[in-house]
Amino acid sequence: MEKMKLKLLYSDLKSDIDIIEKELEKAVNSSSDLINDASLHLLQAGGKRIRPIFVLLGAKFGEYDIDKMKDVAVPVELIHMASLVHDDVIDDSNMRRGRPTVKSQWNNRVAMYTGDFIFARALEYITKLEDPLVHQILARTMVEICNGEVIQIEDKFRLDQGLKDYFRRIKRKTALLISSSCELGAVAAGVDAKTVRHLKRFGYFVGMSFQIIDDVLDIMATDKELGKPAGSDLLQGNITLPILLLKDDPEMQPYLVKVFAGTLTETERQKMLRYVRKSDAIEQANKMSDKYLKKALQEIDALPKHPVKKKLRDVALFMGKRKF
Amino acid sequence: MNATYIQNSIAQLKTEIFMDVRHRTLQKYTGVPVLDENQLFYLLVPFLNGEEWQQEQREAAITVGIVYAALATHDHIKEFDATSKEQQLTVLAGDFYSGRYYEILAMSGNVALIRSLSQGIVARCEHQIKVYETEKRTIEQWFDSISNIESGLISKFFELYSFSEYIPIMEKSLLILRLEREWATYRRGQVTSMSRALEESARYAGLTYNDVIQNKIVQLKTELLQVIENASFLQSDVKQALQARVEASIASTNG
Repeated sequence: MEKMKLKLLYSDLKSDIDIIEKELEKAVNSSSDLINDASLHLLQAGGKRIRPIFVLLGAKFGEYDIDKMKDVAVPVELIHMASLVHDDVIDDSNMRRGRPTVKSQWNNRVAMYTGDFIFARALEYITKLEDPLVHQILARTMVEICNGEVIQIEDKFRLDQGLKDYFRRIKRKTALLISSSCELGAVAAGVDAKTVRHLKRFGYFVGMSFQIIDDVLDIMATDKELGKPAGSDLLQGNITLPILLLKDDPEMQPYLVKVFAGTLTETERQKMLRYVRKSDAIEQANKMSDKYLKKALQEIDALPKHPVKKKLRDVALFMGKRKF
Repeated sequence: MNATYIQNSIAQLKTEIFMDVRHRTLQKYTGVPVLDENQLFYLLVPFLNGEEWQQEQREAAITVGIVYAALATHDHIKEFDATSKEQQLTVLAGDFYSGRYYEILAMSGNVALIRSLSQGIVARCEHQIKVYETEKRTIEQWFDSISNIESGLISKFFELYSFSEYIPIMEKSLLILRLEREWATYRRGQVTSMSRALEESARYAGLTYNDVIQNKIVQLKTELLQVIENASFLQSDVKQALQARVEASIASTNG
């Protein structure tokens, strides 16, 4: 149902998204059968393709040409894909989107080479654009995403952290690439600097809202919907917003002790999830997501008059209210 | 140009690479980046030979070194102890170095080198992953893969900056060094995924691993000495330094 809504939302961009899907397949084409298998395995797992969508929407404010925009949209999605392959090695994850990860289907080394390959293909692809600004934006984003992941590992299993730590982490983990997608599309299409700034900020706020919802869904959704056990973030030591809001709750403490000791049983996981789901931490987290969403909508208001503004609003609202 | 000058040049390049990728947390858990001094030496040969080596070439050489460090870091990822902090940060260290090489070149607007190195990384990954594929390959195909893994990125740099005449010397030298390392590891009773692949192809061709490696090293050294001898573009002191490296390598093999 949610996927249908998403498709409907993108319906007027469908032909351009189809071009990007085909280009993604071409981009990961390799002389190695194993890399082809691993890359196609990833592509077939799907994904919302929100980053390419934001590249295209950002570009609509300028000289929109899909032949040029795909040169930005494809690498942005490839970088996201490559980072997921490496993240699964970091987290030792066996499942993603209901499918075995590359590291579990093959092994860690194959996952590393596949990630490096896709990452390199992304950069090879974006060098079709000569504008140094495009490369500077993307390069800084990549380095910052990496810094964010390093911080995430340092913050793992640490309860002596505050909201500031959490927001700093999700900014780099998710919001930056979405923000840069909007910015890159606009810069590549020759949009004026003021509009680029608003689009960049819009992407940042949407990205923050998106990640908070992602963290809420990790608790609220079923194992089947997630394609992995609910609560996986916490089991891997990542303290997400709902957990952070409950960290001093006396009833939550015994669960956290067991999670950190690696002794939480399946029954206890279910009980813990039920407890968090009923707590007001979920509502509080949703409210924080809404705050970011509101700021994103304010950025849309500041953009010049353009029919694509409605689309940006619809996509932002969908992402902030999504159920998967 | 003497051995000290060469060593200082390599040390300086190393320092510049370390400075460009320094990261407090990564260094604490994963140490400094993995750099192969032989690769750095051959990367610097055009400079040592007096070729045009401005800030652009210097920066380009640094980024080639960073890319090698990024990929070598990922070569250290293990199948066991998968969730140790050290392993997790090793993955990120490689990604961080890759991001940094891109950032350095993006800041100076060197899009051509970004393109060349990306293509080089693509090819290197394709060769590296071959050891996990089921396809039967000949010994010569494995030597091609090793050669690409060791020298492909330096070749990309040489091609872009019109140093192509240095490629045969650099390729043969780095292939010899890698085969010698593989052989030494094998003699110690350790098996790498590459030596396993070579051994299987040798057996399939009715040969032994030892013979295949030894013969190839001898053949490459003979060819290399010839190429150095005939390289009229090399200054005599550079020629001597290159010849001395091959002879030292021959002595260590025989010894």
